[in-house]
Amino acid sequence: MEPENRISNKALTVWKINGLISCSITWIISIAVLVLTIVFNWTYWVFGAWIIISIIQPYLTIFLIPSVKWKRWRYEVRDTEIDIQSGIFVIKRTLIPMIRVQHVETKQGPLLRKYDLASVEISTAATLHVIPALDLAEADELRHYISRMASVEEEDV
Amino acid sequence: MSEPKRLHPVAVLLNIIKSVKELVIPFLLVVVIPGKNEGIPGWVQPLVIAIIVLLLIINAFLRWLRFTYSIQDGEFRIESGVLIRKKRYIKFDRIHSIDISEGIIQRIFRLVKLNIETAGGAQADAVLSAIRKSEAERINAFISQEKSNNTNNPLDKDKDQVWGNEDAAKSSSVFNQTLPQLFVMAATSGAVGVFISGGIAFISQFDEIIPFKRIFKGYEDFIGMGTIVLTVLALVALLVVYVLATLSMVIKYASFTVIKTDEEIVISRGLLEKRQLTIPIHKVQGIRIMENLIRKPLGLATVYIEYAGGSMDDKESLSIMLFPLIKKKHLHKKLLGILPVYQTTMEMTSIPKRALSRFVLRKVLYIIPIIGALVWFGRPWGFLSLLLLPLAVFWAYMQYKDAGWGIEGNLLQLSSRFFSKQTLIMQRSRIQSITYKKSWFQNRKELATISASIKSGVNSQVGMVVDVEEKDCRLIKSWYLPKKAVDSQ
Repeated sequence: MEPENRISNKALTVWKINGLISCSITWIISIAVLVLTIVFNWTYWVFGAWIIISIIQPYLTIFLIPSVKWKRWRYEVRDTEIDIQSGIFVIKRTLIPMIRVQHVETKQGPLLRKYDLASVEISTAATLHVIPALDLAEADELRHYISRMASVEEEDV
Repeated sequence: MSEPKRLHPVAVLLNIIKSVKELVIPFLLVVVIPGKNEGIPGWVQPLVIAIIVLLLIINAFLRWLRFTYSIQDGEFRIESGVLIRKKRYIKFDRIHSIDISEGIIQRIFRLVKLNIETAGGAQADAVLSAIRKSEAERINAFISQEKSNNTNNPLDKDKDQVWGNEDAAKSSSVFNQTLPQLFVMAATSGAVGVFISGGIAFISQFDEIIPFKRIFKGYEDFIGMGTIVLTVLALVALLVVYVLATLSMVIKYASFTVIKTDEEIVISRGLLEKRQLTIPIHKVQGIRIMENLIRKPLGLATVYIEYAGGSMDDKESLSIMLFPLIKKKHLHKKLLGILPVYQTTMEMTSIPKRALSRFVLRKVLYIIPIIGALVWFGRPWGFLSLLLLPLAVFWAYMQYKDAGWGIEGNLLQLSSRFFSKQTLIMQRSRIQSITYKKSWFQNRKELATISASIKSGVNSQVGMVVDVEEKDCRLIKSWYLPKKAVDSQ
């Protein structure tokens, strides 16, 4: 009963790089704390706490979360509705009828561009749903398909 | 009708007031908080204030001078702006309602404020803050007439008669809030809390100016009279604030009437500040019934309309009260006269018994650390905080009891409770998306959290029920999905 399409394999790489970036910030803070500890004779447990965080965070944000998230992420665009499944510890399933879709966009940040990926943003009158990291061609095709299927009248918000 | 016109000069005053309102907080930060600064001569502060005030007045005057409105080629045109010239042209068929209201200042000068609302809430609408009543009625009539020529968008003819015509209003009025009811509503509302916290914030701002220490120096014997007197005084002060808050609510919602025409709901209210809101019925997305802690046991509720429109500038237009206070048993009949599409008597499915333990657990997990901290730091009185535990369990039970969902025809109803019970009733064709989530723990118990989003104001309103049977979630999902694209209409 799960939606059938997965997002791009390369999404995993992108998420891992994102994790690496956020970890490096933590590491910089750790080093700063270490320096301050030595200069101002602080107690060492503050630094200890940062060290523990610096070890746990990479495991979570680089190894565990991206892979779980990627395994969970599925989507399917049928002719009457869009069905999205996401989540890490909480499985989240969203249904958007085609007639509710107001417009579709594809977006690309620098990281996604490097890997030839794009995210697809689907807006209804009240909500915004994002399918992250699809292959560029696939994203474009999806955008065309959805905007062709979605024929929304102005009146029927 | 076509040559550009200015607003009434009173608009200058309104501009000043608006700017002052916006500047209150920065002003406090600059002037009040620093108090007496050493090293700065005493004449600097008054001079700075004088310059600010002068700039305000000049700016307000220039804004009035530059603001013109006109009606040309089926468009309502506004040109404004002092440094940056803005032109806003609104096509008549984009206008979906025209509201006329009167603030205190407008009433003194026998003027009205005209609000032109367009579809789509993100951009601000046209506001003429001070024009003559006759002028407002002329604009209204003109636009209505122009629009009614356009068969696509018929506008009722009697709308402009509604305003200022008491007899017409009486005959077609479908809901009136009587004064005693209003008092009950104001007395049971949560506005008191807002009032008190506002008062406290205000006093703390002036903490440095008001020499409390000096005032109380002479009253040391008075303090010595003991805690009982002080407690009584505090209670009296609270009572006074409560009465004031209640009165201000009553004044705000006095003479509350709802009038229904073919296409629109017109809500008017206010004693000192008259307001009128026009809501096109086809823009209504759903209704929200709120029952707060005090009102629920009394069988009373407040009903709001969720509608796609309103503007960010006007917070009032984002959450619209349809019935400030109504007995729940009368709700069905009253609503039938206004929005017959919405049923309030549908069969509710409550959430399964095995969800109760999860509700209790969630609350207890939050409360244990709090109790722990209070016991640890507040011995021996901290042990009193153990009383929070049964309270938390009771609260969880109430939340469990009031959660539920219902489907009848094209309507979905989701009820949940935080402090107040919220019931959101939505039409299928108005629900933008449905989501259901299950955590690992919920999955084990075959429960899930369901939520549905509708558009409301410029954002969205979400109805959510936690720990529904997973089977029921699938049921709601299959009810929601369109069989064919046709049944959307």
